[in-house]
Amino acid sequence: MKRIEQGVTRPAQIAVEIDGARVMVHPGETVAVAVLASASQRFRDDRSGAARGMFCNMGTCSECTVWAAVGTSPWRRLRGCLVPVEPSLRISTRDPESRP
Amino acid sequence: MTVFDIAIVGGGPAGLAAAERTLAAGLSTCVIDEQQRPGGQILRQPPAGFSVPGWLSGAPYRKGRALLDKVSDDAKLNWLGGHSVLGITPDPAGEAGFTLALSGTMGGVSEVQAKRVLVAGGCYDMPVALPGWTLPGVMSAGAVQTMVKAQQVLPGQRVVLFGTHPLMIVLAQQIIEAGGQVEAVCFAQSFAQMAKAALAHLPRAITMPAPLIAAAGGMAVLRRAGVQVRYGAPVLRSEGEGLGGVEQVVIAGPKGEEAIACDLAAMCYGFLPQADLVRQVGAGVRWSNPAGGWEAVHDDAMRSTVPGLYVAGETTGVAGSDAAMAEGAIAGLAIAQDAGVLTARDASAAMRGPRSARKAMQGFIDLLRAVGDPRPWLPAASAETLLCRCEDIPAGAVDKAIADALAVGPSFGASAIKLRCRAGMGLCQGRSCEHAVIRRIAAARSCAEEEVDGFRPRFPARSLAIADLLDDAG
Repeated sequence: MKRIEQGVTRPAQIAVEIDGARVMVHPGETVAVAVLASASQRFRDDRSGAARGMFCNMGTCSECTVWAAVGTSPWRRLRGCLVPVEPSLRISTRDPESRP
Repeated sequence: MTVFDIAIVGGGPAGLAAAERTLAAGLSTCVIDEQQRPGGQILRQPPAGFSVPGWLSGAPYRKGRALLDKVSDDAKLNWLGGHSVLGITPDPAGEAGFTLALSGTMGGVSEVQAKRVLVAGGCYDMPVALPGWTLPGVMSAGAVQTMVKAQQVLPGQRVVLFGTHPLMIVLAQQIIEAGGQVEAVCFAQSFAQMAKAALAHLPRAITMPAPLIAAAGGMAVLRRAGVQVRYGAPVLRSEGEGLGGVEQVVIAGPKGEEAIACDLAAMCYGFLPQADLVRQVGAGVRWSNPAGGWEAVHDDAMRSTVPGLYVAGETTGVAGSDAAMAEGAIAGLAIAQDAGVLTARDASAAMRGPRSARKAMQGFIDLLRAVGDPRPWLPAASAETLLCRCEDIPAGAVDKAIADALAVGPSFGASAIKLRCRAGMGLCQGRSCEHAVIRRIAAARSCAEEEVDGFRPRFPARSLAIADLLDDAG
């Protein structure tokens, strides 16, 4: 993923956490963009274990569904393309409850 | 609870044009949309904290942007951004004609009541199953376009666009202007086939020269950038290994198979109407040609077959944002008339402008539909290709379910196949695979798609956490 720099002014970056790693994003960017900004197109694994990416970016296909939590709030699944990032956001591309 | 005079589902060109008229008529109006800001997909805005002075400055967006500015600035508009409509329940006996169940895109559920409802849900890119299409980096053209327009990012560096729809020219131009590299634009159909379809409709389309001029301008930009635009170049599959996602697409070229390297492959075979809410309420729909899906039927003032429920824009058949604005205006006037705040005579006079504008567009709409008709060019899924992306159901399993159902009798629809193999049972509620399941059933039954019943539309129209419903009940 590459941000378009020419002709665009963004608010200062904030840090979010994706699968435990720190990723810098701009407020207003979506969770989907945050995942792409982590230099991966992978949003989840399917039943065969294959990596899967986002598809429609308009809320209809649900392929960008990830787990998200703000600070210590409970995890919830949401469509990453519809939700803007916020400070203390944690994102998981795997079920956080099933982690060893 | 507030009862709105009118609840509009969808804040795109159709919904905004309707809101312009209902607000002018003094009706309390709310617009519900999954996006944070109004505009729909065509005018999807950058986040409020971004500054993008050159955003959608081209001529084709001018009219829509003026409408967007006007309606967004109206202090009387109740904007419910960041909300999905899960279901619409008519209550003909009550003061509120309808109850709409909503969920926040970040969670939580709520309700809105309204005397009338307009569904202006827009459309979405037809998801077309071909081998390798579930690799990360294979997306819809609309996904890439909205990433560029609104989020101001390029999801990949080396892009291949493939399909049948001329929107690819516009998107390729936007990617280049954003600093991206377009490796190729691959039209499955030949140039001669496109030209023949265009010429047949040109006499009626020429009354609307603006989109034709814009298309020619887009081609000129691609030529200057040295982008190869291929015709008669159907994509057979996309390929990639490991976690990196798509690495190349393979096309059937004139000299056999040919691979084009890329890290982003965007498909563009046309658009399906968003009509799940309309179907859930039980209003009439018909199969939408050429791309497929279900479009809402309506009278000459955009009234659906359910009293109090109106439809406008792509939900009634994919025809572009200018048509959506005209239809939205007509719907807004009809709503004002039916609410008793506009006389039939005044409504009819005010509808004359948008009606004649809508009529004048039909030639160009028919041209675009004929030129981009995806039906002869839909790629073949292999038996292993996942048709249902949510439940990981391969085409082979769907075809087996269809064969098993056919052995019992010929009159079955998509829901019977869903029960047999789970296709359509996942998070997307069947939006991605329904059209493909219907096409395969129609082929097996040797009937038209129109004759095949789709998945039974159910609450909720969008996925939500069970915990949210339980919290609400508690």
